Amino acid sequence: MNKIKEQSLSWQSGMAKNITFIVTKDCQLACKYCYLVGKNEKERMSWEVAKQAVDYILDNEYDENFNYESVVWDFIGGEPFLEIELIDKICDYIKTEMFHRNHHWFDSYRFSFSTNGINYDSEKVQNFIKKNHSHLSIGITIDGTQKKHDMNRIWKSEGSEEKGSYVDVVRNIPLWLEQFPNAGTKVTISSADIPYIKESVLHLYSLGIHEVNINVVFEDVWNEGDDVLFENQLIQLADSIIENEYYKDFACSFFTENMGKPMDCVLENQNWCGAGKMLSIDAAGNFYPCTRFAQYSLRDKKAWIIGNVRYGIDKNKLRPFLTLDRCTQSTQECIDCEVAGGCAWCQGENYDVADTPTIYQRSTAICKMHKARVRANNYYWNKLYRKLELESHD
Amino acid sequence: MIKYLVILLDDTSVSYCHYENNKAERKLISLEDLNEGIFYAMKENLSIQFVYPDYELPAEYKDAINTVDHSCVKPYAKGVKADVLVINDIDKLGNVDWQQDTAYVLRVDKSKLFAFYQNIISVLPKVMRLNVVLTDVETFTECDFDAYRKLLTELADVVKTEYVRGRIVQFNLLSDRIMLDAMNNCNAGVENITLATDGRFYICPGFYFAEDDADFGLGKAKFSVGDLKNGLDIKNSQLYRMTHAPICRKCDAYQCKRCVWLNRKTTYEVNTPSHEQCVVAHLERNVSRELLKGIREYGEFMPEKEIKEIDYIDPFNIVKD
Repeated sequence: MNKIKEQSLSWQSGMAKNITFIVTKDCQLACKYCYLVGKNEKERMSWEVAKQAVDYILDNEYDENFNYESVVWDFIGGEPFLEIELIDKICDYIKTEMFHRNHHWFDSYRFSFSTNGINYDSEKVQNFIKKNHSHLSIGITIDGTQKKHDMNRIWKSEGSEEKGSYVDVVRNIPLWLEQFPNAGTKVTISSADIPYIKESVLHLYSLGIHEVNINVVFEDVWNEGDDVLFENQLIQLADSIIENEYYKDFACSFFTENMGKPMDCVLENQNWCGAGKMLSIDAAGNFYPCTRFAQYSLRDKKAWIIGNVRYGIDKNKLRPFLTLDRCTQSTQECIDCEVAGGCAWCQGENYDVADTPTIYQRSTAICKMHKARVRANNYYWNKLYRKLELESHD
Repeated sequence: MIKYLVILLDDTSVSYCHYENNKAERKLISLEDLNEGIFYAMKENLSIQFVYPDYELPAEYKDAINTVDHSCVKPYAKGVKADVLVINDIDKLGNVDWQQDTAYVLRVDKSKLFAFYQNIISVLPKVMRLNVVLTDVETFTECDFDAYRKLLTELADVVKTEYVRGRIVQFNLLSDRIMLDAMNNCNAGVENITLATDGRFYICPGFYFAEDDADFGLGKAKFSVGDLKNGLDIKNSQLYRMTHAPICRKCDAYQCKRCVWLNRKTTYEVNTPSHEQCVVAHLERNVSRELLKGIREYGEFMPEKEIKEIDYIDPFNIVKD
C-alpha cells in the first residue's frame, strides 16, 4: 500500500514535563486572533526570576510534579526571540545545573520555541541555534498565503494603516527548513480566514513545510454559515491532497483518522488539555498551570496562580486540574455527542468564558465547526482509502 | 433538591461551621425579609434553621419565627435553649451547663484542640450529640495530622467504653462514619441554601461572611446566588453535586463535611477539597474503623456495617491516577 505520512507526535509525547518561561509579553506583531489580550512591553523576565525558577524546579527533581522522564523547556512570549540573550543565559544555566546535579533530565531535554520568525536569521538567534541545535524544537508560525497571513498577522503600529508580516517571515522559511527539515508550522483559523484554508495549506506545502498543524480558534467568533464554508474548504483541500498525492509526504492536522466517534465516559474520559501537568512562569515569578491562565491571556477572569518561585507550588491549587476529566466538565449534549472524538477544548478559554470562576464548564463555541470538520474528515479518509484500494488492484 | 433554608438573623449570628464570622456590628435581617424568607420556605417546602446572634431578638422577630416550624442554632450561654448550641471555648467546657436533649457544636482551632482535647472526654457521656468543627483545617501539617490521629485514637477509647456500656454516643468525628452507608456531607448549594441579612441567598454563610474584598485568588469570594424577589439562581449548580466532584465521588469518608467554602478557599474550585480536608477526614474514617473493630471485640455490633481497609490517606491519589 502507498504510504500515508503520519503526523509527528511531539518529542517524548506524554513522558515529558513541559515548563514554559513567559520571557516577555511583548511582540513585534499584533495578530488579530491572538488570545494574549494583555501584551505589553514592560513585563520582561529578569535573570533573577528565571534562575530562581530553574533552581526550584531542579531542586524538586523527585517531587511528583517534576518526576517525569524528560523535560521540554519552552520559551514563549509575546515573541520569545526578543529576549534571546536572556534565553541563552537561561539555557546555559539549565544545562550546567542539570550536569552538576547529575539530574536525570540531562540526558533527555529539549528547548522549544514557537516564534513569529521575524528575527530568526539574526546573529544572536542563529548563534543560539548552532549552540543548541541537537536539543531544539522551533516552530515558525506562518499562516498560509500572503493574503491570509497578512489579514491577521500584522505589525504592531501606532498608526491606522495595517502592515502584514508575511514577507518578513517567509524569507526565513528556507533557512529554518534547512536547519529543521521536519519542522511543522502552526496555523490558526478564525471566521474571516475560512475562504483561504485550502490555498493556504497548499501554499505551505509548496514552501516545503511538510507538517501543517492547524486549528480553529476556541473563542466564540463564529458566524452563521461558517461551518458550511469551513466544510466546503476542507473538502476542496481533501480533493487536492488526494488528487496530487500530497498525503504521501505532507500532513495536515485537520485530517486525522479515528476522530468523530462517540466517546465513553468510563473508558475515554481523560481530559483533552494538559493544563496543570504543565508549568508556566511569568516575569513576576508566578507559576501557572498553563500560560493561558496568566493574566495577559485572560479577558474576563483573574489569573489562576498556583505558586511562585519563592514559595513553590501550592499543590492544592493543582488538584482541580489533575482530577479534571472529560465528562465532568462537559454538557450532556457533549457527552451524548455522536461525533465527540477529536473535539478539542482549551482549559484556559473554558475558564475565561465560564459563568463562575471554574475550569469545570466546557465551552461549546466550536461545536458546529467540529461537526463540519468531522464530515470533511470522513470524506477525506473514505476517498483516500478507496483510491488506495483501487490502486492496490492495479 | 434544596430542602433546608438557613436564615441568618443578624450579621453577628454565630458561626456553627468552618467559616469565621468577623462581623462585630449588629445588623438584624429586616422584618420584611424575614417574613419573606419564611414565606419562601413554606412555598418551597423547605425546613428552616434560624441562626441567632448572642442578644435577645425583638418581640416581633420572635413572633415571626414562631409562625413556622423550625430549628434554631444559638451561641452557648447559660440557660439558653436551642436545637444546636455553639461553643467556642474548648478550655472552658467544665463551665458548660450541658443539656441532654441538645446537640452541641464545638468550634476549635488545632492548637487548642491538641492542648485541650481531653476536655472532650468528660463531655461525651453528657450530651446527645457533639460535633467538633476544626476552624483551621486548611493549615494542618504532617505533624498536625499525626497529632490529630493520636488524639482521635484516645477519644475513640472513650466512645468505645460508652458503647460497651450500652450508651449510644453521637460524636461526629468518630461515630458518624460507623453509622453511615453513603456520603452525608454539608450539601450546601444542593440541599441547603442560606438567606443572609441583605435579603440575598448564598451557598452557605461562609460565602456571605467573606470580607467584601476577599477573593482567594479568582475574584470575589462573596457572591450571592439569588434573592427573595427573583428566587434562586445558582450558576454551575452541578458543581455542588457529588456527581461533579471527581475526588469526593470516589471517596468513602462519608462523615466528611466536604465543605464547599473551604474548597473554594483552598483549591479555587467548590467541587475539589484540599489535601488537608481529605487527610483529616480519612484520619477520622480510619480511626472509626478501628473503633468499630474495638467495639466488636465485646460482642456483635452492627454486623451489616463495614469500613474497608484502604491504602491511601488522600483519595486524590487514586483519582489522579
